[in-house]
Parts: sequence; C-alpha cells; structure tokens
Amino acid sequence: MPAPESLFWVAAVTVGIWLGIFLYCLRLERRLRRLEEEEGL
Amino acid sequence: MTRLKKFFLAALFVWFCLVIWGAFFYAPRAAGFKGESARIVFFHVPQAWVAVVAFCVNLVASIQYLRRRDLMDDIRAAASARLGLLFSVLATVSGSLFAKVMWGSFWNWDPREVSIAILLLIYAAYFALRQAVPDPERRGTLAAAYAILAFVTMPFLVFVVPRIYWSLHPDTIINVQGKIQMESRMFQVLMGSVLGFTGLFWWLYSLETRLARLRLFRDQRGE
Amino acid sequence: MTLEKLPGEIRSLSLLRESLTVLRKELVSELRSRVALSSVGLFALTTLIAVAYQIGPYRIHEQDRPHLHSALLWIILFFAASSGLPRVFVKEEDAHTAKTLRLAARPAAVFTGKLLFNLLLLLGLEAFLVPLFAVFMGFAVKNIGAFFLVLAAGGLGLAASSTTVAAIIARASGSSTLFVVLAVPLVLPMLVFLIQGTRMAATAADWTAALPALRAVLSLTGVTLVTSAFLFPVVWHD
Repeated sequence: MPAPESLFWVAAVTVGIWLGIFLYCLRLERRLRRLEEEEGL
Repeated sequence: MTRLKKFFLAALFVWFCLVIWGAFFYAPRAAGFKGESARIVFFHVPQAWVAVVAFCVNLVASIQYLRRRDLMDDIRAAASARLGLLFSVLATVSGSLFAKVMWGSFWNWDPREVSIAILLLIYAAYFALRQAVPDPERRGTLAAAYAILAFVTMPFLVFVVPRIYWSLHPDTIINVQGKIQMESRMFQVLMGSVLGFTGLFWWLYSLETRLARLRLFRDQRGE
Repeated sequence: MTLEKLPGEIRSLSLLRESLTVLRKELVSELRSRVALSSVGLFALTTLIAVAYQIGPYRIHEQDRPHLHSALLWIILFFAASSGLPRVFVKEEDAHTAKTLRLAARPAAVFTGKLLFNLLLLLGLEAFLVPLFAVFMGFAVKNIGAFFLVLAAGGLGLAASSTTVAAIIARASGSSTLFVVLAVPLVLPMLVFLIQGTRMAATAADWTAALPALRAVLSLTGVTLVTSAFLFPVVWHD
C-alpha cells in the first residue's frame, strides 16, 4: 500500500472526481437524447 | 448517440486519465516551488483558459443575437456564461489553494487575482441582469449589450495591469522574452490538460445548449 | 421615419444642437426638482463626515496617507454619484416620457445629452467634495495640475460607463441596486487607475508621474464610448 501522503492518493482522488463528473454528464447525455427523440428534434 | 460522439467521449475519458497520471507521475517536480504544489498548475491554468474561452463564446453569441435576434444565440450566450462562471470559480479556488501553500495566504490582491475576481463580478452582474428582465427578447438584447460592454473592458485588466504592476503570479507563458520557460515535460502535460479541458467545455456547452433548446421548444409548443 | 412628422426647424438641427437640447432639458428638469443633486450631495457629505470623524487627518501615518486618501476619495465619489447617475434614464421610463423622447430625438443625441448631464453632475460633485475632503481629511496634493487632470478624466470615464449601464438597467427593472451591481465590475478597473493617478499627483511633484494612469483611464473611456455608440441605439430602441 503506498504511503498515506504520497502523490498516488491525490492522483487516485482526482481520477475518482473525474469519473464522477464523467458518469454524471454521460447520464445527462443519455437523458437528453431520449427527450430529444420524444420531441422529434 | 452517433459513433463519432461515442468515440469522442471515450477518448476524452481516457485522455483525462492520462493527463492526471502525467500531472502526478510523468511531469517532474518544479524547481522553486514548495514541494509538489506546482502540480496544481496542470488544473489551474486550463480552468482559467476555459473561463476565457467561455467569455469569448459569450461575446460571439451576444453579437450574433443582436444581429439575428435568434433566441438560440441568447441560449448560447447564457450557457457559455454559466460555464464561464463555473470555471472562473474553479480557477479562483485552485489559485487560492496554491497561494495558500506558496505564500501562506489565500488572497493577495495580485493584479491577476483581481482580474479573475472582477470577471466573477461581471458574471454575477450578467445573471442578475438576466433575472431582472422577464421578456425573453428584451432579456437577450440587454444581456448581450452588457456582455459586449464588459468584454471590451476586460483586456485592460487581464493584459495591461499585470504588465504595469509587479505581480505575485509566477512568470507566465507570456513573459518578457516571449519564450516558454517551462520544462518540456511539464509543458507537454499542461498542453494536454488544456486540450482535455477544452474538450470537456465543448461537451458541457453542447449539453447545456441542447437542454435549453428543448425547454424553448416545449415552451413554444405549450403556447 | 418619424422625423418627417416634426416641424422643419427640428429636422435641421445638427447632432450637437440636438444633444445640447437634450442636455438643457435634463438640466432644467433637474434644477426644478433637485432630486439627483440633493441625494448625491447628501450621500457624499454624510459618508465624508462618517469617514473623517473616525479617520481624520492625524490618525494615519504620513506615508500611508496618499494611499488611503486616494482610495477613499474615489470610493466616496463613485458611490455618491451612483445615487444620481442612473436617474437620467430611469426617470424617463418612470414618467413615461421615454416614448416621446424616442420619437423626438436621435439616439446619438439622447446619449450625448445625457452623457453630458452625467459629466456635469460628476464634475459638480467633485467640485463640492474635493475641497471638503481636503479640509476634513488633511488631504494634500503635490501637483495640483495632475490632480485636476485625473479628476476631469475620472469624471468623463465614470460618466461614460455609467450612462450606458443606466440605459441598460432603465429597460430592465430600473432599480438602483441593479445599477450598482452592473456598474461596479465595469468601473473597477477605471477606479484602480484613478486612485493610482491621484496617489501619483499627491506624492510626485512632476505631473508626468500620473501619465500612465491617465493614459489608461482615457483609453478605457475611449473604448467604452465607441462601444456605447454601437450599443446604445440597440438598447434604446428595444
């Protein structure tokens, strides 16, 4: 296990944040697509 | 979702992971900075860059709205302003964190810090104005007028003031000799991050405008 | 399209005369009611007294005085003026005379006339406040010429930004809070330079020390005026 203060953890947290943002926007994207198809846009 | 879009999003995801890895492991430590704190530049600079890009997109959309009176242009202006506000806040926060580590205080009244603060005030004013106007067309016109007026004032702060006054800001890419003084690996990661953040901005911007367009459609049909 | 219906005399007026007519109308209506004058003057006086009472001439160190005095002067000037500057447009909308004005005069004339009024308001405020400020705060200036230049440039610059913002908010809610919220980000860079210029005038005997600040203020003013020339007709005729 890398040392608690090493950069590894900062990087891991950053990747986690990015993953969160990405998945949230992906969900938005899918929802929008569905709504747009409904409207016939 | 089209194949191209899927490819773009997958590439964006991988790209960002690469950038994050590069920021922490590939780029070397920066000399003259406290510990690893300089690594924040890989996130701080692209955020500031995106804030400026958003401001420019807002300017173009505002001008277009005044010329064409197409409500979609107003939607684009509002969307880019919202994102500009978000990234300005992020840039301010990351800048403050760095300032705290480097110089011991979150805020130093350095000219660059002041210009980002004023940019935040401009965005706040822009949304206050939008909220004060109920009619969509007039709202678009007044918001566009204010945005354009604000845009012409900003270059003075961002470019003129730091040149005249001493700045705490680490010597930036546009320095006296006009040459890039960053170590090459750091520069690579920085450019990669800028590219990634621009891609992210483009995605968020398209999501916002599509959502607003849907709402507009629904409102117009509801009439 | 609407000008044809007006008497020939008005049609032939040049832009300058039209603007001066607008200015004269503003002056007459303001002198009749004195609303802007009194609110601006009282605001300035009250703030100055509040500040001078606490700070006064002797509580600050000699070397800090130019910094503090310059900053305080422009803050009081701007915020006092904000209580009167938006009136040029807001009172038109409130009194429903805006529509008539749109028909009677060209946008350029309306803007110039009201800009001149705001300029006079600011210069008048400066003439009123600066001597009092000098007396109450012990504010001394090494180069009076430079100081007057800064005051004049500041008057024009603040008038330029404020008039356009006033036109915008008059078409929105017209509230003075909205005016301050919108005007401050635009005026802040100018205030920074004005404060700097004042400090230079206060500390340096040579008037050229204030030159960089003056240049910055004038170019900002120029840019604002040119942009307003394009934006005002759009906002006015919305």
